[in-house]
Amino acid sequence: MTAPTVSFSDERLSNGLRLIVAEDHLAPVVGVCIWYAVGSKNEVPGKTGFAHLFEHVMFQGSRHVAKTEHMGLVQAAGGTLNGTTWLDRTNYFETMPSHQLELALWLEADRMATLLDALNQENLDNQRDVVKNEKRSSYDNRPYGQWFHKLQEHLFPPEHPYHHPTIGSMEDLDAASLEDVAAFFRTYYAPNNAVLAIAGDVEPAQARAWVERYFGEIAPNPKIPPLGDMSVPPTLGGESREVIEDRVPLPRHYFGFRAPCFGDPRLDALEVAAQILAGGKGSRLYRRLVREERIAQDVAFFALGFVGGASIAAGQATVRPGVDPDVVERAFEEELERMGREPVTDDELARARALIETYELEALQRVDERADRLAMLATLLDDPDLINRQLGRYLAVTAADIQAVAAEVFRPDNRVVLTYMPETGPATHGEHEEPAA
Amino acid sequence: MTLEEILAARPSPGQPRAYNFPSFERTVLPSGLQVVAVHVPGRPLVSANLIFRVGAADEPADRAGVTVLAARAMTEGTARYPGLELIEAAERLGSTLHADASWDAFAASVEVAASRLRAALELLDELVERPTFPAEEVSRLRDERLNDLLQMHAEPRRRVEQAFSQTIYTADSPYSRLAGGNESTVERLTRDELTAIHRAVLAPDRAAIVIGGDLTGLDVPRIAEEVLGSLALGASHAPAAPAAPAAGRAPTADSAVDRTTVRLYHRPGAVQSEVRIGHVGLSRRVPDFHAVQVMAAILGGLFNSRLQLNLREDKGYTYGVGAGFDMRRGAGPFGVRTAVQTASTVPAISEALNELHRMRDTLVTDAELAVARDYMVGVFPLRFETPGAVVGAIGGLFVNELPDDELARYRGLVEAVTAQDVQKAARDHIHPDRLAIVLVGDADVVGKDLEAAGFGDVEIVREELPGEVGEPGGNGLGE
Repeated sequence: MTAPTVSFSDERLSNGLRLIVAEDHLAPVVGVCIWYAVGSKNEVPGKTGFAHLFEHVMFQGSRHVAKTEHMGLVQAAGGTLNGTTWLDRTNYFETMPSHQLELALWLEADRMATLLDALNQENLDNQRDVVKNEKRSSYDNRPYGQWFHKLQEHLFPPEHPYHHPTIGSMEDLDAASLEDVAAFFRTYYAPNNAVLAIAGDVEPAQARAWVERYFGEIAPNPKIPPLGDMSVPPTLGGESREVIEDRVPLPRHYFGFRAPCFGDPRLDALEVAAQILAGGKGSRLYRRLVREERIAQDVAFFALGFVGGASIAAGQATVRPGVDPDVVERAFEEELERMGREPVTDDELARARALIETYELEALQRVDERADRLAMLATLLDDPDLINRQLGRYLAVTAADIQAVAAEVFRPDNRVVLTYMPETGPATHGEHEEPAA
Repeated sequence: MTLEEILAARPSPGQPRAYNFPSFERTVLPSGLQVVAVHVPGRPLVSANLIFRVGAADEPADRAGVTVLAARAMTEGTARYPGLELIEAAERLGSTLHADASWDAFAASVEVAASRLRAALELLDELVERPTFPAEEVSRLRDERLNDLLQMHAEPRRRVEQAFSQTIYTADSPYSRLAGGNESTVERLTRDELTAIHRAVLAPDRAAIVIGGDLTGLDVPRIAEEVLGSLALGASHAPAAPAAPAAGRAPTADSAVDRTTVRLYHRPGAVQSEVRIGHVGLSRRVPDFHAVQVMAAILGGLFNSRLQLNLREDKGYTYGVGAGFDMRRGAGPFGVRTAVQTASTVPAISEALNELHRMRDTLVTDAELAVARDYMVGVFPLRFETPGAVVGAIGGLFVNELPDDELARYRGLVEAVTAQDVQKAARDHIHPDRLAIVLVGDADVVGKDLEAAGFGDVEIVREELPGEVGEPGGNGLGE
């Protein structure tokens, strides 16, 4: 089985907007995805949560689109849509029946060109409330909900842009003003800071003409402030631990490590390692901790790729009732360290490769995923063609590559261990919880 | 033209490309097993789903959870592939074997490159037909389920779902419990009971295998016959299993609510209230299905549904609110689902109830109707972009015993729904005067206001939470 090649064009409009078009007529659908090179890493102290709050404001209308009309028009056209914010970027996407492509392009252009015309205090206050409720339901009112924010705090020093959570703090959300929002838009939401990818049932010449028409006259911002140096030492330099009491029935460990940046071939090897460690019932951690020793209720291990200094490799294990959490921690760490000491077997590697091949093919079936990956690779690595080389890179990973990256990453002095324990005292849940580190 | 002139003109849609739901062919093997092959050109990954039309709703109450546990235990080893060898064999093909049970079906599935379809089906057959249910693994999976139930109590959004089902259905309805069973029944399940339910489920005359993807060069009925032709023929000669379910009839789904009642599960300090509002809803075979779906989209299905526009975009009470009917073979629940900041609990419930009344009292506008219909019709090709989605939809027709042309007729029937149909569907199927309002939240903050609001009798449940007993293991579960 060979992966189908994604053919695409890649060009820049005179205002700097990067346009990628991948034509494929299998289904009458088209994916539109626009990535802005701005994420929570661009936030400054006192204004955390801003990139994400701004993402919500992008759905509150622009000069020719009323509040909530963006959703209404896309859905009435039979499309689906959303936006997401993460450390390195913010993205917006629509998947449309192919005859509705022009509508999606117009909607994205109108808000890139004229968002501030529709911005007002009422809309900002409303979306601030919505985002605060998103924070409550996704993190504050959820058992173990703060684990990723805690890992960020431990893995990156306080002055580093990855130290704070993308959702921000309640205080900073409260403090966001209309002027802040407007300045953020003028700074980062410029065509020369964006990549627009279109994939699926599209006529490239027609799409190019529409993009030129709707986006071509939007002014660039020649003064997008560069981020400072985000580099960090490749390892933490010492183990970092925290015990958190929470309203949870079972203790759970979270493990975090600094890992090679997104795009580094060593991260490919780490992802194959993660598959062998915890990808399904045939994996090492599942087999030992869940199935054989029966000390864990569940296990997971995965890598989250970032471009600014280090990625995060993370794992978790929920402790079975009656089991000493230390026993679970030791077993988990032993399996990670064993990967650095001895090569994985040929059979383990063959199974991991076969599964990864299927996952990649499965993901690339959909137009929304193809558009998203092209925009991502162009935004973060300036290399959209990696979409066609990534599978080959995974399949080329050797046992020696895995051993080498495991030895680099899974070191005690590069490790964060968070242990959630059932709370023993009165509830300490507050909306304004301060970071512990 | 200036940029302003360009942007001031909204584009109009182009000519839609024709789309038809993929046609499929059905073969019935001598055993009674139906084989459905659906060709989806250009898709190198093939989805295969073997479905038995019998599920958790069909099991006896005192063994609740046995069907789900049996399905999950099937991947723990077979006669030919003991232990994890079955999983490993599938992984070598680049595929993962899944087995699970829902209320209405028991299913095993695999996704694999077309060139390896036969090898994957052989593993699927082995999995379904010859699982050994090792006692050690069964007890481990049972304990994992019990631990998961423990975790559920600490997760407001899962706890409220369970409490909602328990509140709206009478105790003799299977839907009053969880499909995976509750503590009291799961802890008593044994290997013998799993073996018995497995044997009872395995009847080829209520089974279908649906295979979709680029099937060029593959004679699917022949491969299916060669690999699965003898599926379960042995089982039908086995002595009648004690747990033999009475499949084929809709499960009991009586309402336990005859007037509006409020039940609040206390969580001290909770920053949000998880809220469910609703009652016993509808079976998938309801005659006005399409009108109900349009109505539910306007009320709480669309991004810009009435509930979203009110509770989120106007009031900012919540990150999101939805409403809809979970349609099963029997009458599944109708519910409004949201999580709201604690201080807004009572006004959020009032607004949600207002929207339920408004849906019944007045006609939806032409614009509302157009958006909902156009969305459901327009999004249809997007829903079926991959073979997995196509196979899943055809499996749903089989489980619910719907006609083969149900999906082909869908868009025309949605387009024909009128505002009057929507109002009739709301009046027939939404009952704001006799529903349950179930919450997980801080009773110390919202309890008094809830009583004062007069929605209905308020019951406050103060349950001991597993996380607060101090010592892990002090709950008597597990090892």
